[in-house]
Amino acid sequence: MQGPEKLYFAGIDIGSTITKAVILGEDSLVSAVEYTAPEQRKLANKLMEEALRKASLSLDQITYVIATGYGRINVPFADKQITEISCHARGLAHLLPTAKTVIDIGGQDCKGIKLKNGRFDAFVMNDKCAAGTGRFLEVIAEGLGLEVDKLGELSLASENPVKISNMCTVFAEQEVVSRLAEGAKLEDLAAGIHQAVAGRICSMVAKLKIERDVAVTGGGAKNVGLVKALESKLGFAVLIPPDPLITGALGAALLGRETVEKAHKKGETLVRNKRRLEEARFYA
Amino acid sequence: MSETSGGWKKRDSTRDGVFMDYFAGIDIGTAFSKAVIVSDGETVSQCVIPSKGIYKNLADEVAAKALAQAGLSMNAIDYVVATGHGAGNVSFADETVTDISCQANAISRIFPSVRTLVDIGDMTTKAVRVDDKGKSVGFVLSGKCAGGSARILQIVARVLRVDLENIGELSMRSKKRIDFNTGCAVFAETEAVSRVAEGASKEDLLAGLHRALASQILSLMERAGIEEDCALSGGGAKDAGLVMSLQEKLGMEILVPEEPQNLAALGAALIAQEKAALKTKI
Repeated sequence: MQGPEKLYFAGIDIGSTITKAVILGEDSLVSAVEYTAPEQRKLANKLMEEALRKASLSLDQITYVIATGYGRINVPFADKQITEISCHARGLAHLLPTAKTVIDIGGQDCKGIKLKNGRFDAFVMNDKCAAGTGRFLEVIAEGLGLEVDKLGELSLASENPVKISNMCTVFAEQEVVSRLAEGAKLEDLAAGIHQAVAGRICSMVAKLKIERDVAVTGGGAKNVGLVKALESKLGFAVLIPPDPLITGALGAALLGRETVEKAHKKGETLVRNKRRLEEARFYA
Repeated sequence: MSETSGGWKKRDSTRDGVFMDYFAGIDIGTAFSKAVIVSDGETVSQCVIPSKGIYKNLADEVAAKALAQAGLSMNAIDYVVATGHGAGNVSFADETVTDISCQANAISRIFPSVRTLVDIGDMTTKAVRVDDKGKSVGFVLSGKCAGGSARILQIVARVLRVDLENIGELSMRSKKRIDFNTGCAVFAETEAVSRVAEGASKEDLLAGLHRALASQILSLMERAGIEEDCALSGGGAKDAGLVMSLQEKLGMEILVPEEPQNLAALGAALIAQEKAALKTKI
């Protein structure tokens, strides 16, 4: 017997470094994909196609599409744009209901978000300075001739972290390169730079009152060395969702579902855009 | 005796047949090391070398160069003052003096009317208030941020593939300035790369870069308090595009000494002369 048409909700989160897409059914996640490439922001449509393919759906079958993240504007296949702060808070509240503070460490920014009853309550953000963001680690890794993915694990072997005195990414890179030349161990430098980033992040997030549980999301949450350094600065363990990258995209899809439910309850017709599965335009 | 013969050869016998006294200032900076030799308050020789390698060697190297240029040997130098980030590594210095004191001293010799001096260095920008006696009466330092120092000029010049010496002239040729969305040197580098890929001209980007740095410098000056006349020093002051941009922002003329990068070394040499004179009196 053919039941009523199923509802699907998509969230696409265009970050500075990684684009993520999530498709949500009425009660479960049906597809989640991410894409890292120099052109990842423009190619959001390709990622959406991939997410749809994985879920065996067509774009027309998606009831509502919400775009979020730094590149959310000008996504030609989204019905609505919502800020990443709201989406992040929503996604996190769903994944880790006990969390009251979220630290999201992105490729080019870092945010602290306070949650209250599953919604965002307050936030602080640094997107002005590369220190305290994923970029800092990338630049340092390059200076040390390492892949950024290796940096975290390497730092765990350190017994004697090197204290990095420079906050600025440019000067910190210079500092680690000279320390390396002076004979410092790579793992000690890696541990030192994670401590530096953790210190920078914690002092920013401390502007909000840090309340437990604290969750860490974004690319930074996948770095074991950074998580360890954050935990040692905070003095307690943090929570990390199983897939920390998709929190914002999931939140976008969840907010899409709520929008649809609300419209249905009120008997309103849902306003959707004329969607085109085309490249997102940024510098138009 | 043979070691000092180089010095004697060059000594000025026309001044009543009196041997001249020479004084040296050595400024070991994070990007460049400078040496200035003075005699009777006048520059005899000066030189700049990039700060590559260990500080101790840089000090020897830059001093040797300045001495050779003047035709002097080290023994001919009566007093040496070291300054800058690596001042402690100048083994042959008689004394070290902060670069702020050195610059305040030198600028008041060159432009006695200057009350606000901004030194745009590789790692730090400093806004220094100077009194009518050439003493520093207060200063504000930028945080060690590449976006607020001359380093951002080096970084963006590199990605634009232009020589640092040419960026001022290029920037002043801009017809339509492209502003940067960031003050961070790391993000500015990325932004410059993207804009170039989109077809932006180097001239317009450099004009935007100068504007961004000028804004940061101006806010530093405001924190220190701005009193006329204003002067610029440091490597950043050699960049005419930056000077112009800052003049626009500030709304007043800015004085730039002839060798702005060597100002601290010159001040060190002048202070060396003063110190030596004091010692002689005693």
